[in-house]
Amino acid sequence: MGTRDQPLQDVGPHVDRQDFYWLRLPATGLCFLVFGIAALLVGLVVLPVVRLFGGRGQRRARAIVGAGLRWFVGFMRLVGVLRYCLRGFEKLGQPGQVIVANHPTLIDVAFLLGFVPNANCIVKSALFVHPVTRGAVIAAGYIPNAPADEMIHRAEQSLRDGQCLVIFPEGTRTVPGEAARLQRGAANVALRAASTLTPVFITCDPPTLSKNEPWYRIPARRAHFTIRVGENIELAAFRAASLPGASRSLNSRVAELFTEATKVRDSLA
Amino acid sequence: MMSREEILAVVRTAMMELFELEPAQITITARFNDDLEIDSIDSVDLMDHLARVFQRKVRPQDFRNVRTVQDLIDTIERMQGQ
Repeated sequence: MGTRDQPLQDVGPHVDRQDFYWLRLPATGLCFLVFGIAALLVGLVVLPVVRLFGGRGQRRARAIVGAGLRWFVGFMRLVGVLRYCLRGFEKLGQPGQVIVANHPTLIDVAFLLGFVPNANCIVKSALFVHPVTRGAVIAAGYIPNAPADEMIHRAEQSLRDGQCLVIFPEGTRTVPGEAARLQRGAANVALRAASTLTPVFITCDPPTLSKNEPWYRIPARRAHFTIRVGENIELAAFRAASLPGASRSLNSRVAELFTEATKVRDSLA
Repeated sequence: MMSREEILAVVRTAMMELFELEPAQITITARFNDDLEIDSIDSVDLMDHLARVFQRKVRPQDFRNVRTVQDLIDTIERMQGQ
């Protein structure tokens, strides 16, 4: 099909519609539907039933949510809406590890919570209210992103308990081509209690499922996700300064790494 | 029990240490957000630091309505009374 030679940037109504566009369109809708139903089933049926039979709380719930997300990623690949490749995931899942990832699409979290065993995650607090997601995020003991003091103290405690914690410091999905301002909470939490800080770079080519994009605006060809684990960021040097200053420096460092990683993608494109 | 002046002195020292502020900036009416550029993440650092200094377990909810240095001193004073 020669899709590689096509320009990546979309847009407008005259985009070439390739790669089984007319099949991918309903398949994308199906994925949204399946996610909603599966999340409800897990939150309202599976997790409560497991609890009824004495499943050991949070750990078990995370295993179930993780398996569900892994299955969902597999489903999306099967119906042809995306391809993906994971690089360096063996470095993830250590006790006390903070994983910071950039956030280009709606489904980034599915890759991280699906493929990092027993990970904790800082999650938008609205998902603790949303009927589709609330059952699962509560049972899994994820950490709401507000209020700030609770978020920081709970995140700190989870790291001291030896959990691995996934954070998206961009806070909300990024608009393609725009540099994000990182929320400093991630750097702050990492400095307080992380054993290691590991950046993860997510690219989605061509961009899709980004902010303010309706589900039916699908890319000209199927999205290819690359989720690459970077080198650990040395924390000791940052920890020499007092926490507010140190978290600002570390935050800038993470922002630089994210920008670099995105640039590489653009220059390859 | 510390007097309000003593509390202010401790708060000042803490804020200078943490945020590299000049003593003159830390007036009683200074607002954290607008005047001192101390945001919600910074204030968690400040509260944790003060909790260590005063050797108290602080309840974060006590500090959520703190907007100015004055509010902070009031809160610490109340905390001491308990």
